[in-house]
Amino acid sequence: MSSVTATRASEVGAPEHVADRSSRRNPRRRAAATVVHRAVVVLLMLYLTVPFAWMLVYSLYPGQNMRGQHMDFTPGDLTLGSYARLLSDSTFTVPIRNSLIVAAATTVLCMALGSLCAYVFARFRFRGQRVLLLSMMAVQAIPAIVLAVPLFVLLRAFGLYDSLVGMVLTYTAFILPLVIWMMVSFFESIPVNLEKAARVDGCTRLGIVRRVVLPLSGPGFAATAIFAFITAWSDFFLAKVLTSNSSPMLSVRTASFQGIFAMDYTAAATAGVITALPVLILALVAQKWIVQGITEGAVKG
Amino acid sequence: MAHARLTAAERGDRRFAVLASAPAVLTIAALFIYPLLYAVLLSLYQLNDKMPKATKYVGLGNYAQLLSDPDFTDALVRTLVFCLFTVLGGVAIAVGIAVLLQPAFRGRNLARVLLLVPWAVPPVVNGIMWKLVFDGSYGVANAVLRELGIIDHPIQWLADPTLTMGVLIMSEIWKLTPFLALMTIASMQAIPSNIYRAAEIDGAGPWSRFWRVTLPNLRGTIMFLLIVQSMWSIKVFDTIYVLTGGSGGPAKATTTLNFQAYLTTFSYLDRGYGAAQSISIMVIVIVVTLLWVLILGRKGKAAS
Repeated sequence: MSSVTATRASEVGAPEHVADRSSRRNPRRRAAATVVHRAVVVLLMLYLTVPFAWMLVYSLYPGQNMRGQHMDFTPGDLTLGSYARLLSDSTFTVPIRNSLIVAAATTVLCMALGSLCAYVFARFRFRGQRVLLLSMMAVQAIPAIVLAVPLFVLLRAFGLYDSLVGMVLTYTAFILPLVIWMMVSFFESIPVNLEKAARVDGCTRLGIVRRVVLPLSGPGFAATAIFAFITAWSDFFLAKVLTSNSSPMLSVRTASFQGIFAMDYTAAATAGVITALPVLILALVAQKWIVQGITEGAVKG
Repeated sequence: MAHARLTAAERGDRRFAVLASAPAVLTIAALFIYPLLYAVLLSLYQLNDKMPKATKYVGLGNYAQLLSDPDFTDALVRTLVFCLFTVLGGVAIAVGIAVLLQPAFRGRNLARVLLLVPWAVPPVVNGIMWKLVFDGSYGVANAVLRELGIIDHPIQWLADPTLTMGVLIMSEIWKLTPFLALMTIASMQAIPSNIYRAAEIDGAGPWSRFWRVTLPNLRGTIMFLLIVQSMWSIKVFDTIYVLTGGSGGPAKATTTLNFQAYLTTFSYLDRGYGAAQSISIMVIVIVVTLLWVLILGRKGKAAS
């Protein structure tokens, strides 16, 4: 056993910061440290995934299998019945459609307005620039609850309460500051010289943003867009306060599956999986960009 | 660029700068500044939608009422407890995870990618997820504990005030800490490896390398994480709503400040007082942020 782990440890290469000096002299202790380290990592990976996996399992069994103290996991009982029921229920599919439209439109609007504004912040120097950029961060300190009633009044005055347009505008305002903040740091990492060449060739500023800057900030742009989409898709509070029956949003509908006393757990689990799956897949498919985006942001400041 | 005569190109640039930044800046201003002023004004009025006729200007009366209102002060204490665990505990766990995933090993990338799972799960779903685990009769936690022979009778996790707060803290840490860990990993990569090599040559073991090299170099990052997590924790809402069936219970045990402000504004329809509570939350967020900056902001230069 110990010889197996020892060879594994050596083939993996020296763990930079796990093994201390004494254990480097003593291969057996070093192997033990490696085993403990890997065990903790495996536990961490289970911790990160099991809660969601459990909800998935829960949603795939009929309610009576999961009731009471003795859960019945007979593979033959696995069923997509709960999914079929929810996805043929218009009180659930309409919110899915609404949330998709709102999150997509919010993302497009945020990225269009946000990257133009961020480019100006990254490339121009003007009075009040720092204050303006810092206030983009400062608005993060304003809890949504402060703005809930005023936004409700404002949207109603324009006939946008309980409408998809109202939600898109609200989310855009809430997400834009962070989008700008993130894009500024990506743009600043692009050498100005590349733009100069394009300018000499007669490119307009808008052309430079489109043909030079955006393509070069690809991963950062993608990561930011995904961040915007996930934020808009996942929001519950604003959707709860600013929509009602004509524009129901998915997060609110999904939350409604739980009551204080009675709760259809299978339906709740199914709704949970359906609500989480699109953004989960998005995050995992784009993980490379997201991690790269976070890394670049961290290295910069 | 500002002085001297402007060339045509510079004038064009200026026009571009204004036109390109205006839509974003105006959108943010319209949906933040006006509502913020409105909320401040609202907080100076006695305005309850249940009694619209009794509306009147009360100055700072709503704010004075806060201090003698047990609903508010209790919520303040609960928020403090919740923040203590989720902010200090959460950031400590995040740094721990980052250290765990720092050395090179097979599967490290997978582990790092999995950190994105809790981040991507919407808060509402997070609530449902933990309810499936901790529900008294349908939850898997009781089933497992029973199988292991640890308990005879199911524990009513979500009916006991202390346990519910525990479940809430756990679920928030599950959701938010992994992303903080990712940010920590990112800034750890920026620490030059020759500092570690130098420390090793000086005979520093892994512990002292962590305390003397890693942690001081992460000071700025940790300050950032503490600020971000404090903001998130003070504003916690969705998970409470789902875990407790929109009640903030049992017996108000999970009614933190933000939830109390929500109840006041949208259940009791006390708009003026609710606005005062909300504004107080905002002030608390700002104060806490400044506090972290004061504690950790400057010393970074002295340490390195």
